[in-house]
Amino acid sequence: MTVPAIELRNLDKSFGLAKIIQGVDLKIEKGERHAVIGPNGAGKSTLFNLITGRFAPTSGGVYLHGEDVSGMQPFEINRRGLSRSFQITNIFPNMTVFENIRCGLLWTMGYKYSFWHMINGQRDVTEKAEQILEEINLTARRDLLAGTLAYAEQRALEIGITIAGGADIILLDEPCAGMSHSETDLIVDLIRKVTEDKTLMIVEHDMGVIFDLADKISVLVYGEIIESDVPDAVRASAKVKEAYLGTTLEEEEA
Amino acid sequence: MSTASKTQAVSNPNRRLISLSNLLPWAFAALFLLCLPLIFQSSSALTIMNQMAITIVFALSYNMLLGQGGMLSFGHAVYMGLGGFFAMHVMNMVEYEGLWLPLPFLPVIGGLFGMFFAFLIGSFSTRRAGTVFAMISLGVGELIAACSIIIVVFFGGEEGISGDRTMGPEVLGVDFAAQSEVYYLTVIWLLIATVLMYLFSRTPIGRIANAVRDNEERAEFLGYSQRRVRWMSFIASGFFAGIAGSLFAINFEILTEENLNLATSGSILLITFLGGVGFFVGPIIGAIVFTLLQTVLGLYTEIWSLYLGILFVSCVMFFPGGFAGIIAMHRRPLALGKLNLLFGPYLKVVIPALTSVLSLAAILEISFHKRHSFGDDHEMSLYGITFDSHGYQALGFTIVIAAISLFLVSRILPSIKAAWDEANHAGDAQ
Repeated sequence: MTVPAIELRNLDKSFGLAKIIQGVDLKIEKGERHAVIGPNGAGKSTLFNLITGRFAPTSGGVYLHGEDVSGMQPFEINRRGLSRSFQITNIFPNMTVFENIRCGLLWTMGYKYSFWHMINGQRDVTEKAEQILEEINLTARRDLLAGTLAYAEQRALEIGITIAGGADIILLDEPCAGMSHSETDLIVDLIRKVTEDKTLMIVEHDMGVIFDLADKISVLVYGEIIESDVPDAVRASAKVKEAYLGTTLEEEEA
Repeated sequence: MSTASKTQAVSNPNRRLISLSNLLPWAFAALFLLCLPLIFQSSSALTIMNQMAITIVFALSYNMLLGQGGMLSFGHAVYMGLGGFFAMHVMNMVEYEGLWLPLPFLPVIGGLFGMFFAFLIGSFSTRRAGTVFAMISLGVGELIAACSIIIVVFFGGEEGISGDRTMGPEVLGVDFAAQSEVYYLTVIWLLIATVLMYLFSRTPIGRIANAVRDNEERAEFLGYSQRRVRWMSFIASGFFAGIAGSLFAINFEILTEENLNLATSGSILLITFLGGVGFFVGPIIGAIVFTLLQTVLGLYTEIWSLYLGILFVSCVMFFPGGFAGIIAMHRRPLALGKLNLLFGPYLKVVIPALTSVLSLAAILEISFHKRHSFGDDHEMSLYGITFDSHGYQALGFTIVIAAISLFLVSRILPSIKAAWDEANHAGDAQ
């Protein structure tokens, strides 16, 4: 059996007395599109923050391709091939759209902390950044300051920055939050396109998006995973219905 | 849509590394600087220009922190001062111990010393940005300033240390005794330092410093350690501050505690902000304006620092982009070809605005004179007019003038705003 791309072993996180994540065990195989759903306050974002190194776990371990990364800094985890987007748009507002993407490229293209390269002269970076701009349909916005973009465009840019470095594990935190239906469709197509052959972990409230995109779904309730299976099985699960999906799913299907 | 496509057409960047349009401003600046002494020949003018050049290097190095790295430092004079003191010691070693070092290379030594201290202090101060960084910089600034009184061997106590720049080996027959020779040395270093700092901002680390400034957390998730990025900017900035300090040592041949105390750190913050932190040229403009205010305005009035303070406060309140920001605001009207719409309203406001500034200054000057003149020295001369500063006529007259001109300005402002909106509007309304 192959080593899972992401493995969580008995993961715990408490803030003071509040236990936000309790004993989470999860394996995400390479190339899988895995969605995490759950009611508000279930700990979905915290789970993301634990995996990406924003928080250190209270106990338990996070493994990327079999390597223990718990307690590492975000930049160290990123260098191991994991990249994430944020629920609240997290871009570089005072830099141009092009520069935002370029920042996402520099580390993995080997420029690191270089002060001996002239950045505008590096054709490989420029070409790659322009190719990504093309993929996320922001070529026309290339030289605008990122902070001046419309909300949906900023969300697309956020995804662009996330995938730019070529990470093979992508975590997306509510990429469709606050978007209209047509914008959501565009973003879902975009996500499908840019995460081809990659491992994807996604938190999302829009059930349509989840069932459309995911190979597997985990249901997180009060910091525990109560079900983790293929979409149809999750839909059929009595436990899930009772805990969470009961109301939402019926609304969706009505 | 039209907005986007127009903006794109305007700012289509030049992708070649070196091109004529990139090189031209630098060549022009170099030529201009080298010709300046032909226009201003007096020794005091040369001193002012040297001081300007030093302040420019210092302010640019400061902006590597504030503008490009998002680090608000209250103690940047430390690195300039330490670089300067060290350079001065080396200068003395040249004189007394026969060390062979041509004067033009001295700034490298001072720069490396400033860099070394930036390396040490930055190792802990750049851990976080924001308030933590600002407070540490303040503490370190105070600490080094206090040390300068205590460690007499290095800092020379209250009278500082001095030296003689002419004792080194001659370079091409020049011994740097004359002010103009020092001017050329300073200006060449100004050009070198400015070009290097400009190039630094275009390297991967320079761009990532911007990214960390904008959003340090996001940068971490792109593989960059925010601390390491800030530290590297800090070290580079320390190097250029050290160069500025060495140039100071060469020019004035004396360094005292004043060169690294908090007042100097504060004024470089003020200079940089006044010029505009968001632009590479901002600190250059700020340094020129500040030095002119300090030296020229200082000749005419004792309360020049009050005017500077007022200028600074109004800049923070009304034009946070600084002088460079005001210029940059006009790029869009220029790009839209509508800059001409602004000429009329600007021309209309110039005279009332100038009058109100001058009359407000006159109110301050008259009050100051009244308070501080000795005995019955009632005679005062302002703008070429001599009058009795203690009578009510003069003060009353200036207050009336100020009120009228301010009223006129307030009447013209709406039309400027309207013209401004129109000039920034992309649609065709010709």
